[in-house]
Amino acid sequence: MPSRRRTLLKVIILGDSGVGKTSLMNQYVNKKFSTQYKATIGADFLTKEIQFEDRLFTLQIWDTAGQERFQSLGVAFYRGADCCVLVYDVNVMKSFDNLNNWREEFLIQASPSDPENFPFVVLGNKTDVDGGNSRVVSEKKARAWCALKGNIPYFETSAKEGINVEEAFQCIAKNALKSGEEEEIYMPDTIDVGSSSQQRSTGCEC
Amino acid sequence: MLQDDDDANSSSETDSIDQNPNPNPTTSIDQSLDAIEGQLTSISLHSIPPIPQIISALPSDSHSQLQQATVAQNLEYIDTLPSDSHSQVEQVVESPGEVDMERGVVDNSVSRGQGVLWRNNSDVDVDVEGQGSPSSSGYAGGKGTSSSSSGISGSGIEEISGDDEVDRVEVVNRSASFGASVDSEWLPGKRHVNEDDASVSWRKRKKHFFILSHSGKPIYSRYGDEHRLAGFSATLQAIISFVENGGDRVKLVRAGKHQVVFLVKGPIYLVCISCTEEPHESLSEQLELLYGQMILILTKSINRCFEKNAKFDMTPLLGGTDAVFSSLIHSFSWNPATFLHAYSCLPLAYATRQAAGAILQDVAESGVLFAILMCKHKVISLVGAQKASLHPDDMLLLANFVMSSESFRTSESFSPICLPRYNPMAFLYTYVYYLDADTYLMLLTANPDAFHRLKDWRIRIEMVLLKSNVLNEAQRSMVDGGMHVEDLPVNPSPLSGSLSSHLGQPRPPLDSTDGCKTLLGGPAGLWHFIYRSIYLDQYVSSEFSSPVNTPKQQKRLFRAYQKLYTSMHDRELGPHKTQFRRDNNYVLLCWVTQDFELYAAFDPLADKVCFLL
Repeated sequence: MPSRRRTLLKVIILGDSGVGKTSLMNQYVNKKFSTQYKATIGADFLTKEIQFEDRLFTLQIWDTAGQERFQSLGVAFYRGADCCVLVYDVNVMKSFDNLNNWREEFLIQASPSDPENFPFVVLGNKTDVDGGNSRVVSEKKARAWCALKGNIPYFETSAKEGINVEEAFQCIAKNALKSGEEEEIYMPDTIDVGSSSQQRSTGCEC
Repeated sequence: MLQDDDDANSSSETDSIDQNPNPNPTTSIDQSLDAIEGQLTSISLHSIPPIPQIISALPSDSHSQLQQATVAQNLEYIDTLPSDSHSQVEQVVESPGEVDMERGVVDNSVSRGQGVLWRNNSDVDVDVEGQGSPSSSGYAGGKGTSSSSSGISGSGIEEISGDDEVDRVEVVNRSASFGASVDSEWLPGKRHVNEDDASVSWRKRKKHFFILSHSGKPIYSRYGDEHRLAGFSATLQAIISFVENGGDRVKLVRAGKHQVVFLVKGPIYLVCISCTEEPHESLSEQLELLYGQMILILTKSINRCFEKNAKFDMTPLLGGTDAVFSSLIHSFSWNPATFLHAYSCLPLAYATRQAAGAILQDVAESGVLFAILMCKHKVISLVGAQKASLHPDDMLLLANFVMSSESFRTSESFSPICLPRYNPMAFLYTYVYYLDADTYLMLLTANPDAFHRLKDWRIRIEMVLLKSNVLNEAQRSMVDGGMHVEDLPVNPSPLSGSLSSHLGQPRPPLDSTDGCKTLLGGPAGLWHFIYRSIYLDQYVSSEFSSPVNTPKQQKRLFRAYQKLYTSMHDRELGPHKTQFRRDNNYVLLCWVTQDFELYAAFDPLADKVCFLL
């Protein structure tokens, strides 16, 4: 346990396969980009330390597999997430259409305490492809959807060029943080010796 | 017999801690010590006939150098032994060269874990649909980040198994004595904070402990920085949760020399990754204790925080307790209480303990739940209120908590604590005061406003203890140590009058790796023993003496006892009555009855018959 208070934020990245989730994470954490496509299997985990408003944070990033066959892993993976990042490819309409499914599925499986206000961030990735000529989802359309779903912050990114990636993750951290602020005083009960007849558990398993 | 001088524990008529009015027996350990003599001598009567018989029934066993006989109620155990130890080797080892046969110890019990999910050795197919994810390799170079594929197969566990030099060096430097001198050389707190799962040194550590939440957030790691291990922690959670999702539970994964042991306690996950060759049952019990230590600090009410909020981060609540956990983990390799589930008493004269007990009794009657006077890890006196009794595990965890927290030494303290075996859900309050460098008083109460009253009590207790010289006696006892096997009289018994003649006589040195073995120690080549009274929840062990001198040798003997304990209490095949085990290092003998357990180590060259005396 660290002596200085640090906060760990669990961030889940979701989206169709091939939209660039792993590349975004790789660009953000390692400042690297590879054109070679390797499908993520199950999930990959990365950590990144960031400083934000004079506080230290560790982002625990869960880069999930986009293929449908991995969706049964959902409950196991989504539990206790501080923020969920939805990624689509601006050049593939289907990946944008599916954002709604990803969001719904996440809310069902993670069942956060306050689903209405759970922090999502949407990223429209691959804006660099073909100089933007093959783009099929307009920024306007994407922003409209985000507004509809409770003003989800929206970023247009290029993992390849490293455009907006840093900013997007700053926002992710900020939002994750916001949701984790409420603090309670930890107050367990005190033993009531008078009424309860305490007995030691005799179950010494030897 | 145990002591021929007139010192503290020579008392044959003592009844030292019987002040405890609770129905649970707390008579004197001193008393029971005397029984050891009888038992040591009478072992021969019980076991001589069966042992030669059984040994001859075993194959001469050149490949494993194992000679073991178990005189058990169920003889199947023995019947299955040869084939079983063989299959064990097959199960654990991928390539035959990998098992360390040097010590000649093959633990049969390990291969029989019940409900073990994956004890596959073939590079762990624990994965979630074959996640030998090659994709993760791309990140490995990133500095300050850690990456690991959730496919623990290729990249995860495998790479940990390198050579284990790192920890070995450290182990030698540490004191591994069973005695109380240990913590003088033990540096509290976490070391190697700058490591993470990408560090070579981190991967080479022999024994890792992790605590994490069910959302994969790290809570504690023995080595390395928890936050930098967040990725690794997530991997562990993914494995556990994945199996849980299938309505199953992962308990153990074997990967080469490593065992990965899991313990799920509601929203808290505990994991041990070890290549120490300890039985997985032992590792599992160690995880239980680690969990108990956490409960002692926070109570089980912590579960409610996770119910309300799955992303709950409990590390702030555990702030500053690193040393408590690391000292507990350290005790897993030297303190027999961690596997015996019994506590040990400081040897004291009857009158001295009486004096301490009497004043504590007065406190207990005034509404204190437990009054405990301890000298380091050893109990001087313990008194409980009516109907209240303290589990030895709780005592271990409480003493560890107090001794490893530096702040208790500098001032009187009043701290909320929870006794997991007494009531895991709620806090008690403990008043802690160090009377001298080693001796401390703990007064436990349910009343959060009792501080000043307890302080007054402490002043009275301190006066009584000073007047009756208890503190000086305790210090003297600490210096003198406990029993020494050399002091045991050679005891000619009718069966073996002639046998003791060779004892103590020099023998040609063995050509063993240690090179320092001659027939040393007590009668019949007795090197060391532990006696546990089941009735009293107490144990007593002899001090280490030649030839078990070095910390390394002591730790090895400790592990051998631990293994012995596990195999004697095997849930499927046990409990057994006696066990006789010989390897290059010693002959081990264990005898378990309803009333006591006796563990003894003898010179490996001692005659089979003569160490039974």
